[in-house]
Amino acid sequence: MRLSDIMGAANLSVYAEIAMILFIVAFIAIVILIFSPGRQRTYDAASRMPLDDEHPQTPR
Amino acid sequence: MNARLDSFSYDDDIVRKFLWATMIWGLVGFLVGLIIAIQLTMPESNFAPIWTFGRLRPLHTNAVIFAFAGNAWFTGAYYSSQRLLKTRMWSDGLSKFHFWGWQAIIVAAALSLPLGYTQSKEYAELEWPIDIAIAVVWVAFAVNFFVTMARRRERHIYVAIWFYIASIITVAILHIFNNLVVPAGAMKSYSIYAGVQDAFMQWWYGHNAVAFFLTTPFLGLMYYFLPKAADRPVFSYKLSILHFWTLVFLYIWAGPHHLHYTALPEWASTLGMLFSVMLWMPSWGGMVNGLLTLRGAWHKVTEDPILKFFVVAVTAYGMSTFEGPMLSVKSVNALAHYTDWIIAHVHTGALGWNGFLTFGMVYWLAPRLFQTEMYSRKLMEWHFWLGTFGILLYVVAIYSAGATQGLMWRAFDETGRLQYPDFVETVMRLMPMYWVRVAGGTLWIVGTCLGLYNLFKTWANRPAAYEVPVIQAAPLSREFFDDPHAPAAAGVWARFTNASWHRKWERMPLFFSVMTAVAVIVASLFEIIPTFLIKSNVPTIASVKPYSPLELAGRDIYQREGCFNCHSQMIRPFRYETERYGDYSKPGESVYDHPFLWGSRRLGPDLAREGGKFPDLWHVRHMYNPREITQQSIMPAYPKLQENVIDFDNIQKHVDAMAMLGVPYGDAVNKAPQMAREQAQQIAAGIEAAGGPKGLHDKEIVALTAYLQRLGRDLKNASAATAPPTAAPRPAVVAAPGGNR
Repeated sequence: MRLSDIMGAANLSVYAEIAMILFIVAFIAIVILIFSPGRQRTYDAASRMPLDDEHPQTPR
Repeated sequence: MNARLDSFSYDDDIVRKFLWATMIWGLVGFLVGLIIAIQLTMPESNFAPIWTFGRLRPLHTNAVIFAFAGNAWFTGAYYSSQRLLKTRMWSDGLSKFHFWGWQAIIVAAALSLPLGYTQSKEYAELEWPIDIAIAVVWVAFAVNFFVTMARRRERHIYVAIWFYIASIITVAILHIFNNLVVPAGAMKSYSIYAGVQDAFMQWWYGHNAVAFFLTTPFLGLMYYFLPKAADRPVFSYKLSILHFWTLVFLYIWAGPHHLHYTALPEWASTLGMLFSVMLWMPSWGGMVNGLLTLRGAWHKVTEDPILKFFVVAVTAYGMSTFEGPMLSVKSVNALAHYTDWIIAHVHTGALGWNGFLTFGMVYWLAPRLFQTEMYSRKLMEWHFWLGTFGILLYVVAIYSAGATQGLMWRAFDETGRLQYPDFVETVMRLMPMYWVRVAGGTLWIVGTCLGLYNLFKTWANRPAAYEVPVIQAAPLSREFFDDPHAPAAAGVWARFTNASWHRKWERMPLFFSVMTAVAVIVASLFEIIPTFLIKSNVPTIASVKPYSPLELAGRDIYQREGCFNCHSQMIRPFRYETERYGDYSKPGESVYDHPFLWGSRRLGPDLAREGGKFPDLWHVRHMYNPREITQQSIMPAYPKLQENVIDFDNIQKHVDAMAMLGVPYGDAVNKAPQMAREQAQQIAAGIEAAGGPKGLHDKEIVALTAYLQRLGRDLKNASAATAPPTAAPRPAVVAAPGGNR
């Protein structure tokens, strides 16, 4: 019996759908995170980073 | 706060090196592009063996992707990363190793591809020793980059760096898995995957090479250099983060849209289509974000050629990322696949997005790196307008060429027969548009030359010694204090949205990188594993047998000459395809194809059922000079194939490598050269008897003919019990309906 026979019998194709759901959940979490209030200050500082070559915008 | 301040300076020397490499290799890559564009209009400008379309086309694609765009990314990455992380690159030695290693690889590619050393997988043509060198150089780059990140003096990692990280990691994964081969000589190898699986792997790679070599790195550059040039922060930082995560999540799934209506399983191609359409949203989010960064600064665009380059680049990004999802919709793809439409799509992206973003970046960098004024603003303007008109001429002509050919292939007349049964008719119709392409490409190249001249003159005005500013900044403290002004988080939900944990990730570059890698790998595995391990996805066909040793040698020649650049071997299940070429291709037919040679573009007819359509002598004469058979053919002539002697000694090595991959070769494992000689004698005798040239029994043309006559025969043999056995198929002397192609 070859590996492909064993794997073929294991019905793995359902995993693709599980992975997709996992991805969607993770993605929604990220969206909520990005648009949650209270992060604006960090983002404002971060967005200025390219404009100053010498001074860290988000030190510590 | 930490009272101690570090003093350091940025390494701009490495940026200057990469900048010159970008422009010089860019010019080389563009020139090769012009040469192959001319070859398509004038077949006489092909000179076998080295100077043919089939060998130069991979050189063009590799040069513009890996030499031009690659060096452009490195230029911008070395400049921006040091400044965004407020630290010098960790190791100047590794930076230099990366630079010289990468240039050496480019030189190796420029030599080996025209010499015919190729793995025959698009954008992964380079043979295995060069692939190993690429991996080594890439690891050096990655190590240098990640240690630099760990030593940064800025807490937050700017979004441009996220794009670089994702690119570095994903390119490494793609490169390694698509290039797994069994060597069969110093510069020869066979892919460990076969047929459908190889095709799946290749387009998982091919699509993501576009995503993670031409898109995400350049988005990183956009998010750094566009704010710089406009002198204002990006329109929405939130949107840029969303852009990043969506691309990382979606792109990796989209590869199968390159294989619609092929022998790929239906579910995989539908999955690829869905994810491709979903990609439209974040891509346009990114485009809008780029354009809106210029809000309140549009008056500058009329004055500043750099911003002009950027605006056109971002617009081209929007156009090609709109078109990509559209092309991935199956019904649109049915028309566009195998035609010039794809070539036009790619050039909107490559010339508009990658090219113009690079030029804008180079012009922004030049006065800063060479510490002098730009030599001529007027030349920059000229470069911009020549480039813009070059792009327009190119894409308008080639879009119409694609649509024209696609429509001609599927046209039936009122009696229900193909309206254009002669393939060459559908090629001839494209010639005016091909000349317009030559004109467009020429404008583009003139613009590039002006750019190089301008850069050279700027460089000539540089100071005797470059000034190296010393920067002072505090190192990051080990104890992290989150924003003291932030409201205290209460409850699970608040803690989640407060996201201190995410900021903690951001402070841990290696952890963050690992998470990105996990996202990419998980998506890849879940997409790929089913095709590889579920047998029912690739039904076997009992009558399909391995190639005979001589046919394998012929296949090697087919690969060497790059025939797959113009001839597909994959008939789609449409009536207009089966009428023209024969029964549609089945997944089980290519189980011994290491690598698969399905092709992606038809400048000549499909060859999947070529075997037996024409007599052997037809192939001999056709290869000697295609225009003796089909007056208007644009195929290069290969007269040398009648003189070159088959490398019988190496056949055994090649058969052994295939046997190692599990191809059931039986007797041939011991006496491949002998079997090859016997079959060659037989075919040569037949050619001679038919009135063809004498003494071909050990010449390459016989091996190639044997291979071509084998294509698609196994299935015919299965349906016709009277057909001869598969071991040494003899061609039936039957001309295809429609006759002269």
